[in-house]
Amino acid sequence: MSLPDFARTTTFRWTLAVAGAFALYIVVLFAAVYWRTEQYLTARSDAVVTLQAQTFAAATPERRSDAIGEFLRQDPRMVQYAGLFTAEGRRIVGNLEALPGDLQIDGPAQQSLLRVGPGGSETTIVRAIAARLSDGSVLVIGRNVDEVEEIAEIVGGALAVGLLPALCLSIAAGALLSIRAQKRVEEVNLRARRIVAGDLRQRLPTRGVDDPFDKLAMIVNGMLERIEALIHEISGVGDDIAHDLRTPLTRVRVRLERGREHAATVEELRAVVDQSIASLDQSLAIITALLRIAEIEHSRRLEGFGQIPLAPLLREVGDLYDPIAEDKRVTLRVDAADEATVHGDRDLLFEAVANLVDNAIKFTPEGGRVELALVRRDDEPVIRVKDTGPGIPDDERDAVTKRFYRSDKSRGTAGLGLGLSLVAAIVKLHGFRFSIAAGPGCLVEIACPQLH
Amino acid sequence: MARLLLIEDDKETADEIRAELGERGFDVDWAANGIEGLDKARSGEAEAIIVDRLLPGMDGLTIVEALRHAGVRTPVLVLSALGAVDDRVRGLRAGGDDYLTKPFATVELIARIEALLRRPAESRDTMLRVGPLELDLIERTAKRGERTIDLLPREFRLLEYMMRRKEQMLTRAMLLEEVWKYKFVPQTNLVDVHMGRLRRKVDEPDEPPMIHNARGVGFILRVPA
Repeated sequence: MSLPDFARTTTFRWTLAVAGAFALYIVVLFAAVYWRTEQYLTARSDAVVTLQAQTFAAATPERRSDAIGEFLRQDPRMVQYAGLFTAEGRRIVGNLEALPGDLQIDGPAQQSLLRVGPGGSETTIVRAIAARLSDGSVLVIGRNVDEVEEIAEIVGGALAVGLLPALCLSIAAGALLSIRAQKRVEEVNLRARRIVAGDLRQRLPTRGVDDPFDKLAMIVNGMLERIEALIHEISGVGDDIAHDLRTPLTRVRVRLERGREHAATVEELRAVVDQSIASLDQSLAIITALLRIAEIEHSRRLEGFGQIPLAPLLREVGDLYDPIAEDKRVTLRVDAADEATVHGDRDLLFEAVANLVDNAIKFTPEGGRVELALVRRDDEPVIRVKDTGPGIPDDERDAVTKRFYRSDKSRGTAGLGLGLSLVAAIVKLHGFRFSIAAGPGCLVEIACPQLH
Repeated sequence: MARLLLIEDDKETADEIRAELGERGFDVDWAANGIEGLDKARSGEAEAIIVDRLLPGMDGLTIVEALRHAGVRTPVLVLSALGAVDDRVRGLRAGGDDYLTKPFATVELIARIEALLRRPAESRDTMLRVGPLELDLIERTAKRGERTIDLLPREFRLLEYMMRRKEQMLTRAMLLEEVWKYKFVPQTNLVDVHMGRLRRKVDEPDEPPMIHNARGVGFILRVPA
């Protein structure tokens, strides 16, 4: 036997459990009400019969029979019982057929079975009291407690009317809720399966309402967006690699083929092989650089982060490039007096600054100047590299930070065309700002806001 | 003749490396997988171990960690196609002594193995001597014979590194990593320029040269004949 799907959901089970607990509570509550009411009514009946018995007992024996008759006549609802019996138990007056055997004489009011009707044909359970009077006769006063049964009926009826529909309603609500939840889960399942199958454009359904399920769906959608972007980036990197490796690899292939056909001496063949190895090395360097840029752009490699004083870093870059500049007859000036420290990865920052200085020296003609400075603007440390080279034309400033971009003017200068993309990736990782300003010459800046 | 252990799953690569190293006079034992490699490495016969990181079902670093854990101190060169800076750091942290990214030039591999085999002992000497060359680590002065050499701090650092590894091939990448602690490959030929400076100061035109450019891949400091 299998339950319908919705009945197996957690939502439905919880609904059932809550409805059950609620029903139990109502039953207990009603039972308490019934019990307290019964107690109250019984106590009241007892008080009434006791008072009545005392009244009759106080009357003279002559008046007593009349009073009892009158008392019974004035009870249209037929809830009162009274009887006066001789000491032997014979009835003198009243609507009771016989002296009830279970009734304790001169005791408190108690429950008793009375025989009433012609010839004692009927019995009824009442609250009754019996008292022996001064002349030896026995007085019995009873009061019907049907009201208690009526109340029980009312309470039971109310329970039936109120509780059953409420139970049905909660089961229905539980079923509905779980069916709805299950529908959403099934929809999510379906989309998830499509995503697994490779359709990364799929998103989980949202309803635009502020419920936890929607929030979760939105978070997952955010994740999916990021994953999709990453996949695109990766395939982009792949495309870049494929595109930019074809050229050097084709060259190597042609060169090797020609060398094989035409080289006349071992020396000639060696020269061909050497050139080919150099080209292959260059291709490998391109792959490494591209992967590195992708790694920096997409990883949150923050484990190497620490407080980095900028001035020593700049001086060290200057120290490293000083002989290179000198060889090229370019003046390299380092002006780093600021005490600024930034939160960052020292190796990456070094690499970025070194790249900028490397570029500046490379593009500055003999006799020119390269300035590496640490300045402060709007209370932010700014690393500035300025040179007297040809600069970067306005319309090419954005493009230079893209992979492989190389200005026409720089063709013929060694390099992979990846330097500035690498700098841009490093700067972005740190949350810094990279800008290439118009100038005479080239002026690039890395502004380092100190975030906390 | 130094015994080496090569743990590399690709037979073709392994054969190439063994042939190259064999020609240089190394006796190379080969293990094609991690388990075998670990067993051979534990025997302690090899003087240096070359481990590929991407072994079938195992990261080569696991072997290095296991060896170090077992107290085996044999120097290890980790080979990897994973070239990111973090990978290198992880490789060294796992107990590797050097890390080389595939593909590599054979000379680079050999230079690094030789460096591992001849790791300079931690000496407390305050004076280094190679032939006529003298380096005073306290006074920070350098002399060749009677001639005082005036060195910039960066040149001093470079010469100290070379003197501690005399007669040893030091490739550009090794110098960058060890002397300058730079973990990236600069576009400009930085090492050559710096070495050129140092060389002009160490080897004057009338003196027999000590700093030699070797096969276009690195530099060797030699005692003049």
